[in-house]
Formats: sequence, C-alpha cells, structure tokens
Amino acid sequence: MAITEKITDTTVPTFWEGAIPVRYVYTFGLAGEKFFRTVKDKGTFLATYCDECDISFVPPKVYCDRCFKELDSYIDVGTLGYVETFTLSFRNMDGSEKEIPKILAMVRIGDTDGGLIHYLEGFEIDEIAIGMPVKAVLKPKSQRKGSIEDIIGFGPVR
Amino acid sequence: MIKRVAIVGIGTTGFRPVTPDVSFRELIFEAARKAYTDAGMEPSEIDGFITTAEDFMEGYSIADEYCPDQIGAVLKPTQTIPGDFIQGMATGYMMIMTGAYRTIAIEAHSKASNMKNISELMGFAQDPVYNRPLRETPHAVAGLEMTRYLFESAASSEQCAQVVVKNKMNAMRNPYAAFGAEITEGDVLASEPVSLPLHRLDIAPHADGAVVAVLADEDTANTLCETPIWIEGIGWSTDTPTLEMRDWGEAAYARLSAEMAYRMAGIENPAALIDFAEICDEYSYKELQHMEALKLCMPGEAAYMLESGATSYQGELPINISGGARGVGHLFEASGAHKILELVEQLRGHAGARQIPDVNVGLAQVWRGVPTATGAVAILSNM
Repeated sequence: MAITEKITDTTVPTFWEGAIPVRYVYTFGLAGEKFFRTVKDKGTFLATYCDECDISFVPPKVYCDRCFKELDSYIDVGTLGYVETFTLSFRNMDGSEKEIPKILAMVRIGDTDGGLIHYLEGFEIDEIAIGMPVKAVLKPKSQRKGSIEDIIGFGPVR
Repeated sequence: MIKRVAIVGIGTTGFRPVTPDVSFRELIFEAARKAYTDAGMEPSEIDGFITTAEDFMEGYSIADEYCPDQIGAVLKPTQTIPGDFIQGMATGYMMIMTGAYRTIAIEAHSKASNMKNISELMGFAQDPVYNRPLRETPHAVAGLEMTRYLFESAASSEQCAQVVVKNKMNAMRNPYAAFGAEITEGDVLASEPVSLPLHRLDIAPHADGAVVAVLADEDTANTLCETPIWIEGIGWSTDTPTLEMRDWGEAAYARLSAEMAYRMAGIENPAALIDFAEICDEYSYKELQHMEALKLCMPGEAAYMLESGATSYQGELPINISGGARGVGHLFEASGAHKILELVEQLRGHAGARQIPDVNVGLAQVWRGVPTATGAVAILSNM
C-alpha cells in the first residue's frame, strides 16, 4: 500500500516552526594556541614542519596528515604570502547581500604548503592575479585578542 | 562465496523544489514502498537497512533514531551513514559480501525546503576557528576553487555556463527533475553574482525527494529479477578538511575514489569503457573538474569535450543525461541516489524520452559539497 490519501488543497498543509540553539566552545588546541598567541604577541605566523614529508603546515598541526608523525617544532614563517586563488564575495554566511562586495583569497604563506583564507584589502578586483605577493595587515597590538579576527586581511607589499 | 552484488529494486518520489504536503518520513515511505514493489519484496524479507543523513540538515540530534519506521526497519538491523547514498551503498555492498546478509535496503532523502536557514547550516560546516568567524557565504569556498580551476585548466566562465545550459536542457526530458529549462549561456552570466566567478545560475538550487534501493547477492538477484543492475566497482575518498592545505585546482577526492572503483571493476581505460556518466555538477565548473579527475578526458580537456558536444545526450559520452544537480536539484545525502537512479533506469532501458541506446556500463560520482573534499564513485552494469 502506498500513501492513498494525499493533500490536494494548498491551504491545508501546516507545520510547527522550531529552532535548535546550538552553542559551543571551540578549543584552539596546542597548535592553535601557539599560533594565535604568536599573532597576538609578535604579529607573525607559525608553521609546523614534517621533515619526513617535507611539508609545512599553516595553520600548524601537531601531526602530519600524510605520514602521521607527531610534529613539535614550530617555525616563524613571517606574514608575506602570495595569492593562491580569490573570489569576489557578494553574500554573507546567512545568505544576505553584503553592502559592499569583498575580495576573499586563499593566501599561501611564505614557502609553506599552507596559508590563510582572508580578505584582500587595498586592491581593486581587476588588480588581483594568482601568484601576486601580499602581506598580512594586523590590528594594532593593543587591540589583538588572539583569534583570526586579529588579522584585518592581506594588503599590497610595499 | 558471494561473487557479485546487484540493485534489484529502486523507488523514488521524484524531486520537487518544495513538498509542503508531506513530512520527510512520508516522503521516504513513498520511495521505500515503490522500491520494495519494484524488487517484488516486503521489508520483512529484507535482512538489513541503511539510511543516510546528517543531524544538522535534518533538524534533529541523533536523526538516525527517526529512520526505521518509514522504511520498514523497526526492530531490524539498521544503521545510518552520515554521508552520501553512494557511501551507504558501499556499506551495504560490504555487508552482503560478508555472507551474513542476502539483501540490504539503502535510503537517502532531502527535505531542503524544511531548512529555514539553509545558507547558515551549510556555513556551519566551515572550520569554526579559522574560517567561520569571517561569516562568509559557503559558496565562497566554491568561488575560490572555481577561480583556481579556471586558471589551471584554461577553461572559461562561458564554458562553465554551457554546462548549466546542457544540464537544464537534459532535465527537460527527465520527469523526476525539478529545474529543467531552456536557457542560454548569457542567462547564466547575467544572473546575480554570488561569489565571482560564480553566478546564481552556476549553483544548483535545492530540491526535496527520496530514493530507496534494494541490494541483493548474486543468487538472490537472479531469482528476483530479469535485469539485475550489478555493482562492478565502488570507491570513496576524503581529503583533509583544512582548506588552507588543499590543492585548489584538482579534485583529488574524485580521482582517488574513481581509481578505487576502476581497480575493483578491472577498468583500465575508463573513457573507452564507460558508456555514460552522472557526475557532480553542484557548481557548474565541478562537472568539468570532475570529468578530468575521473579520467574521462585528459586534464584541461573537459571544456573542449563539452564544446564539441561529446558529453551531450547524443554525444559519445553523455554526461548528466538526467539533468544533474543543476537540472534535478541539489539533494544533500540523496545527491548520489538520483545519479544511481538514473544509471539503473538507463541500464534497464526504462529511461523513456532520455534513453541512451545500447548502454551497458554507467558511472555515478558524487561530492559532499562545500567545504568538504569527500567524494564517492560507483560503476554499474547490466551484464
């Protein structure tokens, strides 16, 4: 037997509207703690390096995701990078329109295999090209709290 | 020893933009009832059940508890895979290969129209510490990837728009599809920018619907039906969730899941052996990127192959004859299910106006959507 009775009147279907408030604390972990503390205090980025695989991780991880070795040596990789890819974003996470479209980029940091996803600031969209060098722009030290929001974006290298 | 596993029954509701008349469980019930009728079985005769769902998309904690009733699985062995239908099918395949189960039913559905804040629900999949604080649209991850893919492949936004034109036109011949339309490349490029180079029409809209399939071992399959559709190969793979460590041009998850499926099926030259393919086109460029990852063409050749008409419904390798996600609708965990449904209909010769003549081997490939790098591939045949 399939469903034998079906609703044929569009004014009939009703629903209960519910919501699930979900709140979490997302712990940074050992590597995240070091990374954001260094951004806050020294204004530079840290990587971990796997000498087995010759891969450097930004954001840093305490394990190599290829050979599964534990990683505990951190290197300062500076705040220079280059544009791996970019997009001109017109919407926010909730789907609403942005007042002004923003250029979002994946920036490879230094000669690492990783990087950061953040905004490009101080450019017109036509000026952006893959491979272009950029430099992180951080908030003034007094305003940094130790999170991704300490980074304003990536701007031109002068 | 079990030799092969086949699909012996399949049922669907079809796919619609909204389904306010039924609950998600009634949607599944209809697909299950049709699948069991197609297989000539009652659920009491089925040994085990697999559903596929992600809690946040369902609006429940522990959504798997809400699955048994509507598929006839109450007080029977049942489990939920938080992945795509094709990943669920891989589990069912393995369960039958153990010899402990003769038959397994697999379920997938989408009730996207119940999700009031769908953009945020998708956005919650981003890394909460490094990515989510930017409050970016989840489509921005695809925008980033599209820019890099176009750079590496030398394909153009215009060619990606042609994927949309082809698939929405294909969907016109698919009575299950929700988004069939005759549009032009210009319509796609003129639609609102979402995360450039992505425009609104490059992105598959969501649809509701359910699919249930019944798998059986070789002996049971041969008793149950005249044309069992055999699972010749199946593979799946996941890249790192860290966006910052990814290769942004290549779909490595698709390449590796295809290699696993080809190895199992004994396929050395997929482009020559596969008659047609249903591959993920949730974003227009993804069809081209996935064609290359699946080795259906050489790297950088997908756009040329599209323009030559080789992937059209009359071409030598029709791709997304169903209309794909762009024409049928994006179906969350049921994305792979509509592709498997299309393969089964084509391989049985039941595809009506869109039937491809003389097909024996079809490939279905799925991707779990942004920001994931998870994919699965299945190869089915009627021989």
